[in-house]
Amino acid sequence: MAPIIKVRNLHKRFKDPARRGEWLEVIHGIDLDVEPGEVVVLIGRSGAGKSTLLRCLNFLEEPDDGTVEIDGVEIQAGEHSRERTRHIIDIRTKAGMVFQSYNLFPHMTALQNVIEGLITVKKWDRDRAIAKAEEELSWVGLLDKRDEYPIRLSGGQQQRIAIARGLAMEPKIMLFDEPTSALDPELIGEVVEVMERLAREGMTMVVVSHEMHFVRDVANRVIFMDGGVFVEDAPPSVMFTNPKDENTRQFLTHIL
Amino acid sequence: MNRGYVLKLALVWVAIFVVLAITFRLLEFDLPFMLNWTGFLFKGIGYTILVSAISILFSVLLALIGALARLSKNPIANGLSTFYVSFIRGTPQLVQVYMIYLGLPQVGQSLEALGAPGWLADLFVLPAIPSGILALSINYGAYMTETFRAGIQSIHEGQREAALSLGMTQGQCMRRIILPQALRIVIPPVGNDFIAMLKDSSLVSLMGVMELTWRATKVGRRYFRSLELLSVAAIFYWIMTIILQTVQGRVEERLGRGRKR
Repeated sequence: MAPIIKVRNLHKRFKDPARRGEWLEVIHGIDLDVEPGEVVVLIGRSGAGKSTLLRCLNFLEEPDDGTVEIDGVEIQAGEHSRERTRHIIDIRTKAGMVFQSYNLFPHMTALQNVIEGLITVKKWDRDRAIAKAEEELSWVGLLDKRDEYPIRLSGGQQQRIAIARGLAMEPKIMLFDEPTSALDPELIGEVVEVMERLAREGMTMVVVSHEMHFVRDVANRVIFMDGGVFVEDAPPSVMFTNPKDENTRQFLTHIL
Repeated sequence: MNRGYVLKLALVWVAIFVVLAITFRLLEFDLPFMLNWTGFLFKGIGYTILVSAISILFSVLLALIGALARLSKNPIANGLSTFYVSFIRGTPQLVQVYMIYLGLPQVGQSLEALGAPGWLADLFVLPAIPSGILALSINYGAYMTETFRAGIQSIHEGQREAALSLGMTQGQCMRRIILPQALRIVIPPVGNDFIAMLKDSSLVSLMGVMELTWRATKVGRRYFRSLELLSVAAIFYWIMTIILQTVQGRVEERLGRGRKR
């Protein structure tokens, strides 16, 4: 099967906040293929480039070099055109994203959050959008909260609604950027449960997370990143029992 | 606040009014004269409200455009907006009013001399009320541009990212996600501006618009009873601002949805 995500020679530089005029290469020439239905988890120290890589996949971060291809839509780094902007929007509707701090729209109820993309981006009529949103809300177990504003919901509930908001767009892949890091420990389980269910239903997922429970039970591949490159790429069983790289080994002793 | 404190507060207010009444008495305020002209002054309120209501509408529009231009990456839009805000905030409102009322006709004349058609030149000779509305709109638009810019910038970056990740365009993101949230934040300062505008609308009296202040000074001067009529005008302004403050409070309460736990 052809990979649904294809990344070639990806580079991303930021201005170094510590040294003026210097550049910091956060992504250092990465290649990545993800097959449909695969669940890939990126692990590594902070600053390793995990989140940046994830955000380059839907162009929230503009890569400096390389190509990203998602479900047949290919985009080169650096060029600028009207057509490219359309392609980026195309990729973003194919790739749902879930953020560490949920980022629900606070001026909208749970239901309004979920129908927003369908109505504004996909131009669905309201009734159809509401039907779809109710389906997604009940899938994450929060249909009874449809008319609540986000501020009245717990972190775990907000994150589940954020997942429903992404899923309503019927994406081909889902990107998760540390989805449980901001949650109180007792709320992590309900979010992980939803993600596990999503993986079982065959969703292609790229996840930045150190939630070991999820990584061990759900991931097909674990990638250890360091200094903007992939150091080790293996199934969790191999990664956690027999890592090849000394650096990986050291990191794993910290999180296991 | 406990009961006793409220009572003391009320007493202070009563005392202030008693002192004022005694002062007016000592100054030999002509009460029948005041009452006699109150109706005449009251008719000026219509102009005051008309000028400030239309001006606030235009200034909000200008501010919105100004703020979006200021935040855009387009150097022309950005430059125009920064110039606008800097120039208007850096010059007296009175000078701006006169520039529009007295200066613009001169521009029209020069254009005509350069061969422009007469109707174009006539467009630059604005009657008093449109002049006043234009001056107030431009002036308040500049101040509010900064308010709107700050409001838009105060919305967390994650909101924009969430909207874009759903596939929204920059414009859709601004309209659907950023502006509705920014609007709620700028309601209190814009409300304050509206109240200030109501009072600054008295500037148009300088151009002979028969609004509240114009009427008070005109009649007051003729009979040497300015203090009386200015007091009446002041009370009218005061009542209007109190009403506006109440409305502002209600609006803020309504827009507070989604904020309260």
